[in-house]
Amino acid sequence: MQDTQDNIKLFGNLITVSGIFCLAVALLLLINYWHIRQTKPLETEALKSLVQQFQADPESEALKKDIRSLDLLARKAFFTSQWQIKAGALLLLFGAIAFATCLRIYHTMKARILEPLIDGVDSKVTRMLSQRWILITGGLLLGSALVVSFLTTDYLKIYEETGTVVQAPAEPAVKVAVVDKDEKTGRQKTEDGGQEDGKTVVGDAGALVIPAKAGTSPLSSAGVLVTPAKAGAPSLNTDFRNNHPSFRGPWGQGISYHTGIPVDWDGPTEKNIKWKVALTKKGNNSPVIWSDKLFIAGADNESEVVYCFNRLDGKLLWEQDAKDIPGSPAVPPKVTADTGLSAPSVTTDGQQVYAIFATGDILALDMEGKRIWAKSLGVPDNHYGHSSSLICWKDKVIIQFDTNKGGRLLALNSLTGEISWDTPRKAKISWSSPIMAEIDGKLQIITTSSPTVAGYDFDSGAQLWAIDCLSGEVGPSAAFADGLVYAANEYARLAAIKPGPTPVIVWESDEYLPEAASLAVSNGLLFIATSYGMFACYDSKTGKKQWEKEYGQGFYGSPMIAEGKVYVMDRSGAMHIFKVDRTLTSLGDPILGEKSVVTPAFADGAIYLKGEKSLFGIETIRQQKK
Amino acid sequence: MKWLKIILFLLPLLLAFSDLEAQQRFPKPEFHTKYTQPTPTTPEPRGVGMEFVDVLVLLVVLSLTSWFAIKKRSRNGILLLTVFSAIYFGFYRNGCICSVGSVQNVALAFADPKYVISLYALLFFLLPLIFSLFFGRVFCGAACPLGAIQDLLIYKPITIPAWLRKTLGFIPYLYLGLAVLYAATGTEFIICRYDPFIGIYRMNGPHLMIYLGIAFLLMGLFIARPYCRFFCPFGAILNVFSRFSRRHLSVFPTKCIQCKLCTTACPFEAIDFPDEEKTKPDTKSNTRRFILYMALIPVLMLAGSWIGSKSHVFLSKAHPDVYLAELLISHPELKTDSKNIDIQTFLASGKSLETLVAEAQVIRDKFYTGSWILGAFLGLVIGLMAMNQIIFRRREDYQANKGNCYSCGRCLDYCPVE
Ligand code: SF4
Ligand code: SF4
Repeated sequence: MQDTQDNIKLFGNLITVSGIFCLAVALLLLINYWHIRQTKPLETEALKSLVQQFQADPESEALKKDIRSLDLLARKAFFTSQWQIKAGALLLLFGAIAFATCLRIYHTMKARILEPLIDGVDSKVTRMLSQRWILITGGLLLGSALVVSFLTTDYLKIYEETGTVVQAPAEPAVKVAVVDKDEKTGRQKTEDGGQEDGKTVVGDAGALVIPAKAGTSPLSSAGVLVTPAKAGAPSLNTDFRNNHPSFRGPWGQGISYHTGIPVDWDGPTEKNIKWKVALTKKGNNSPVIWSDKLFIAGADNESEVVYCFNRLDGKLLWEQDAKDIPGSPAVPPKVTADTGLSAPSVTTDGQQVYAIFATGDILALDMEGKRIWAKSLGVPDNHYGHSSSLICWKDKVIIQFDTNKGGRLLALNSLTGEISWDTPRKAKISWSSPIMAEIDGKLQIITTSSPTVAGYDFDSGAQLWAIDCLSGEVGPSAAFADGLVYAANEYARLAAIKPGPTPVIVWESDEYLPEAASLAVSNGLLFIATSYGMFACYDSKTGKKQWEKEYGQGFYGSPMIAEGKVYVMDRSGAMHIFKVDRTLTSLGDPILGEKSVVTPAFADGAIYLKGEKSLFGIETIRQQKK
Repeated sequence: MKWLKIILFLLPLLLAFSDLEAQQRFPKPEFHTKYTQPTPTTPEPRGVGMEFVDVLVLLVVLSLTSWFAIKKRSRNGILLLTVFSAIYFGFYRNGCICSVGSVQNVALAFADPKYVISLYALLFFLLPLIFSLFFGRVFCGAACPLGAIQDLLIYKPITIPAWLRKTLGFIPYLYLGLAVLYAATGTEFIICRYDPFIGIYRMNGPHLMIYLGIAFLLMGLFIARPYCRFFCPFGAILNVFSRFSRRHLSVFPTKCIQCKLCTTACPFEAIDFPDEEKTKPDTKSNTRRFILYMALIPVLMLAGSWIGSKSHVFLSKAHPDVYLAELLISHPELKTDSKNIDIQTFLASGKSLETLVAEAQVIRDKFYTGSWILGAFLGLVIGLMAMNQIIFRRREDYQANKGNCYSCGRCLDYCPVE
């Protein structure tokens, strides 16, 4: 008996000891776990700064050595703690087994006959209680499921439904709201569809006769030269060359024909900043210039506005709202801040300016800001916001309208807003802008999207060629030079395409791919700016990389070529200027002092930049004195 | 590009072990070294022969448990088998595959014709059910590694009021329904994901899993087998099957002498006491209630299926594709979040949002069907559980409840009858 008592005591103590042991180990493990969660050995400041230094000086052996040893230390620490966890778990397991075994023995030894339970519980009461609680719990469960089901948002359905909303007004039979028809004093429609006023004439072929920029002095107010463009001769005419009529310049090709562009300025100290005006509404669109007028757009939840500035002094000449448009949504669609409600750049043919917004509202204003027509194309089903810029030529305004509901390319009559043609495209949603080019004597509109890069006949809208080579969410627009079309997108590839009835990819690469910035080609060289800060130059004929340069900031704005230089602005607002050359020759990195995601516009002797908050007119003093 | 492919390949793994994100990962060095990365190797699956060793072991354990419980009436025999199962199925086989989780394989095999269930998984599912149909829950008694670890750590079990026990007994059916729904829609194997003891058996895994296991075991010191009683979805099926068992463990070998000695034996309160005269229900009112329940059950099922169908939207949000599609629709700005690996991988795949939404819609449709069936099932369970409370079976002896008894054999030693 005494023996049993002793044993009971012994096992009782063993239980306590093993129990405390288990608890202690568990606690240590817990602390270890917390510790690991808190520390990130590879994200220490020391390592980060070493890596940063290393990036600046990639050849330094000493830095390599330091990084290696720090890295090794971190790994050692990590694996030691792993080992600790393993060992701790094993200890805990053995402790638990000891605990359980002692417990069992202790209980067996202590076992005595317990006083039997008297049936004190009234089974009737229990049964009633059970019924009640089962029903209550079940009811509560079903009830809360119902409540939750009413509280959950069915995003898929919203997606489908907004899709339907988009589809309805997107039919071709959209009403055109021609505003101020009667007020168009001094501007009457001629029978052949042309317009006449004191300054502009529309020829019978629809070719616009437009005010050309005058003189070489960038500061002189442009006189109005009437330069008729011959019908049927699609070559980029001098009026367009002498202006910056759309996103990425004439025909959207990423090339400006202006000269004397400044390469040196400084936003914060206002060096060479001729003028600077604060923007009132957000808009990630790029400035567009005709003669002395500079156009931008902006929008917020209240209104969508087109602004016209005098590019010589930065004075606001006029602003015009896009209001009272039938079919325009009461509430603007949900867009991301990155894109905004006014991402597409406006376009102008020197006679009118055209603007489109994320609401699908499109309007045409004359150069004085008077509305000529406006219509709604239906809210584009676009989860970031519609961002494809407009382009115009002759009598047409071209809209690349690729939404989640499918792709379309539309041409509206620039005088009436009526649809000239509407070509459905085999394309998923895209954010790129159409460009124009003359290929084999035919004027074509070239678009990029997922998966297709395609060319369309400007006059009929017929698809002339197409090749599937992109994927993902396509933002960069194409470039064209020397008979080759260039297209690229992040996660897809960069391809040089020989267009034609059976287009072929001449070369391709996937080393550096842009996410938003379009391509620019000049002089046998192609330039790419990626959203992660890489700027690279390729041989446009062979695809051989010529040089590359990395920046801490990514590029959203597109590179532009002017005067044998390539201008590209990173998101911090620093412009990087290089010589268009096979070797890397940097010509400066002037800064704006504000973040920027847009593409510059040019005029002779001047560059126009748009930051997050302001619009800048930049000229070099030398140019001013001219 | 290469990295993207690797990320793409890793995504399913990441999704499955998203809790592991918290652990450290070491990126490749920042610069070139002479070190060549070894090609990763995939561990060989357990050989077919070995799989059948597992099945054989299970068969032997089940047979021995039945023999110990019914013929031999030996608690020690069952205890030994329990220890063996904890070691073999638990620590050695790492708790995988277990019969509890096999429910999901079966559900998926039914729902997805492309999924071929292995014979191994099927046998692990069927054997315990077949045995329970004949001998009661002998699987729970000694073969189940989850039950074993809990059984071995019962310290001072407390009594839980009967109404509470019965009410909580609803959870396993809910868990079962959800597990089948999620498995059949190809969403996830939630039983495996939230298995509290796997982490302990493997001595590895997401920390939360391990702490959950420890919490269950600590709770189990006082509330005997908490997971078995109030969560286990396989137990819910075994419970039903076992009620039909012809030869079930009996507390007394030949005859109950009403000594009441076994009343304190069962830590799970699975011994039914004889009915006292005074608690005998009034037949008339009981019949009325019975008819009421008979009418109520279809109503509950209808309500359940309606609510179920309404709930399919939020239930389906657990599916990775639906989740991703909704995330992209509701927060398009996340596209630029380079840290969101799900979204980045999706973007890298070149798939359009439209396709993703279409796929998500297909899954959601499946959820619609699944959820209303689940709702109807739960309505039925609620009704039957409540109705069960008015069904009166005459009982004169102290006897193990065939549904709830785990055949652990504890009570056998208490009965003085030879
Ligand atoms: S109830 Fe479930 S977990 Fe418990 S022993 Fe039975 S099958 Fe295993
Ligand atoms: S065998 Fe006895 S003690 Fe074990 S669960 Fe069944 S009734 Fe309870």
